[in-house]
Amino acid sequence: MFWQQLINGLMLGSTYSLIAMGYTLVLGLLKMLNLAHGDVFMFGAFLGYSFALLGIPLYWALLLAMVGAGIISLLVERFCFRPLRKAHFLGPLLSTIAFGILLQNVGTQIWGSEPSRYPQTMEMAQFQLGPVLISSVQLIILAISLLLMVGIDQFVRRTRMGRAMRATSENQINASLLGVDVNRVVRFTFFTSGALAGVAGVLTALVYLQITPFIGIRQGLIGMVAIVIGGLGNLRGAMIAGILIGVIEVMNDAYFTASYRDMIIFGLFFLFLMFKPEGLWGTTKQES
Amino acid sequence: MLEISNVSKNFGGLMALDQVNLQLEQNKIYGLIGPNGAGKTTLFNLTTGLLPVSGGSIQFQGQELTSLHPHQIARLGIARTFQNIRLFASMTVLENVLVAQNIRTQSGITSLLPTNHREDSFRKEAESLLQQMGLWQKNKEKSSSLAYGEQRRLEIARALALEPTLLLLDEPAAGMNEAETEELLDRIQEIRNIGKTIFLIEHDMNVVMGICDYIFVLNFGKLIAQGTPADIQANEAVIEAYLGREED
Amino acid sequence: MNVYIEGVLALMGINILLALSVYAILTTDQLSLGNAGFMAIGAYTSAYLTVKFGVALLPALIIGALTASLIGLLIGIPALRLKGIYLVMATLGFGEMVRTFFLNFEPTGGASGFRGPMGSSLLLIYGWVIVFVAFFWLLARSRLGRSLDAVRDDPEVASTLGLDVVRLKVWAFWLGAFIAGIAGGLYAHHMFYIESSNFNFLLSTMIVLYVILGGMETFWGAMVGAIIFSILPEVLRFMKDWRLSFYGAVLVTVMIIRPAGIITREMVRDFREWLGRIFHRARTWDA
Repeated sequence: MFWQQLINGLMLGSTYSLIAMGYTLVLGLLKMLNLAHGDVFMFGAFLGYSFALLGIPLYWALLLAMVGAGIISLLVERFCFRPLRKAHFLGPLLSTIAFGILLQNVGTQIWGSEPSRYPQTMEMAQFQLGPVLISSVQLIILAISLLLMVGIDQFVRRTRMGRAMRATSENQINASLLGVDVNRVVRFTFFTSGALAGVAGVLTALVYLQITPFIGIRQGLIGMVAIVIGGLGNLRGAMIAGILIGVIEVMNDAYFTASYRDMIIFGLFFLFLMFKPEGLWGTTKQES
Repeated sequence: MLEISNVSKNFGGLMALDQVNLQLEQNKIYGLIGPNGAGKTTLFNLTTGLLPVSGGSIQFQGQELTSLHPHQIARLGIARTFQNIRLFASMTVLENVLVAQNIRTQSGITSLLPTNHREDSFRKEAESLLQQMGLWQKNKEKSSSLAYGEQRRLEIARALALEPTLLLLDEPAAGMNEAETEELLDRIQEIRNIGKTIFLIEHDMNVVMGICDYIFVLNFGKLIAQGTPADIQANEAVIEAYLGREED
Repeated sequence: MNVYIEGVLALMGINILLALSVYAILTTDQLSLGNAGFMAIGAYTSAYLTVKFGVALLPALIIGALTASLIGLLIGIPALRLKGIYLVMATLGFGEMVRTFFLNFEPTGGASGFRGPMGSSLLLIYGWVIVFVAFFWLLARSRLGRSLDAVRDDPEVASTLGLDVVRLKVWAFWLGAFIAGIAGGLYAHHMFYIESSNFNFLLSTMIVLYVILGGMETFWGAMVGAIIFSILPEVLRFMKDWRLSFYGAVLVTVMIIRPAGIITREMVRDFREWLGRIFHRARTWDA
């Protein structure tokens, strides 16, 4: 039973990790939170839903949702971050809040505020791994998440673009002096961040099987909890923290009372901010 | 009246100040000079409590400053200006000066009530300060609309409104032309003449040699010389420090 | 006056108070995305007092607000060690904590909500609006107001002028929480029924958006923003369900072209001067 719950927690947590990673990429680069991120996640989930409804097989729907979410994230960059470079530092934050509300409403208008059921697009096989019963869907979720996590981590560490991203997050001016096309890096980062959210959206939909235009709010908030616990700006920290939270959430539901779940998570969030704002693994950037 | 004893400041690995010792007496004008990066502004930041010391002590009229918050140090009678002018952008010229008076009068929740609290006399005082600095004409204008030299004078007026015993001026003559500098020197001497002590950081040697009674020289965080202007001008170590480095 | 208009005006009054509560905290350059939490504390506390203990409305409102502000103090003090987005996130987390707390707290109904508080009136609501508007009006022209401006413009410099920045920031939090608590109490006694989902993150962010649109620099801006957002749903009836999209789009645009909002400090200053000239002219004209 415990192992079953652990697997469930890992699965849920990996979706949180993907969201958290998206936040971290933008935060590390531009030192600001993109509060529309949760709603980009929601759009990803719904895009996947719409594509699946059209009969498009899962993997293609996933890919298309990724791209779609990435594009929306680019819109956020275009309207909420780029024109506000010289504004008060909270400007982009506030603008993304407004953009998020816009996204939620558009989503509601397109897909309705009633829950939408995700169509069954694949065979539900079940595998027995020791004491654990794991479905093919769960395996896919775990596999894709793991792939992406490792992929992004390695990408940031080893590729030229990854290095450019890290250089830009350290110091934009120096980076551009060194020949980095900062604008391109920024756009790339936003796209990737959105794509991750999009994947997380589809995977989450596969977990819960039904979605509403308001799922972005909660999942977005949980993503935020993850980046604080993991350490703001710390990509690996965000990954691990996301999984941790997923496990905590599932364990809480299994062994404690489900209704207290969010209180515990946000309580943890608050405690960390008060007493250990650098998170478990430290921030990579210095907040003045 | 100000005793800086064995003060050191460490930033990570960088030793910004290294066992600096200096004493200031009442009612004199002191200069603090040295090449860029010597630690001058850091010394001011430590004295006013904006940064904690890594070692040593700073005593002002018998009071230990290193354990105090900046606002407590200000209330003891130390005021300062800043190297890159930091006026309150949202306020007018007059308001910048008035806000500095707040700790000397009722400025809590009771200040919402229309009772007088000697408000008139405070306003008159602010007016006269601005008159002295030649800024009264522009008192209703936004502080950011002033010319550079005027902004510097406003910062000084604001610091004076605190009625400090010790005034720390960080490059007050920077960016001023000759005429403005002359006027500034007159002002500073007036301030000293009414009993205050002034400690100023300056790169303009005319200013420093012109009005300082005594000068301290820092280089790479260490005090390398101190003395009267004549002493300093003849001092080998000082000459080397300045000539051996790039002037900005 | 028909019931419908009364309802709109009542909510408008409450929105004004909520906007002022965010503004109060913003005066010291702190952004709170959790004022719905303070509102909830005020709402549930005052509702519980009037319904379960028969306490009169006015004292219940005040006790509710004091409870909210006490919690505001408890948040404000450690929160001050946090800068920038950490503080924003802390307020966000706080708001969510309060919401999920009341979702689970059985004595006030838990998930089923709390039924019964009543007795609010337009007179009461606008009475409080007038009280706080007068307060902010006096604050703006007082030395305390100037201290707050200094803390907002440059806290380091403010501290070198003797201002206790920490104390002022904590006080601002206390004030914002108090006003939000009053708004919450009024809301509860107007709606007759409250539940935790009324006090969610969306509300906290909407309140902030009122202030952004109306103008972050003065309390008039906060008021104007609240009024616009309260009337807009009525004016934009034809837009039906697309209203929120409209708000979102408008706000994003405002942040780009006029980030200070509709009402700026300049505007208020110029207006005050213009008024001064009119009165001066009137006075000299009589003579």
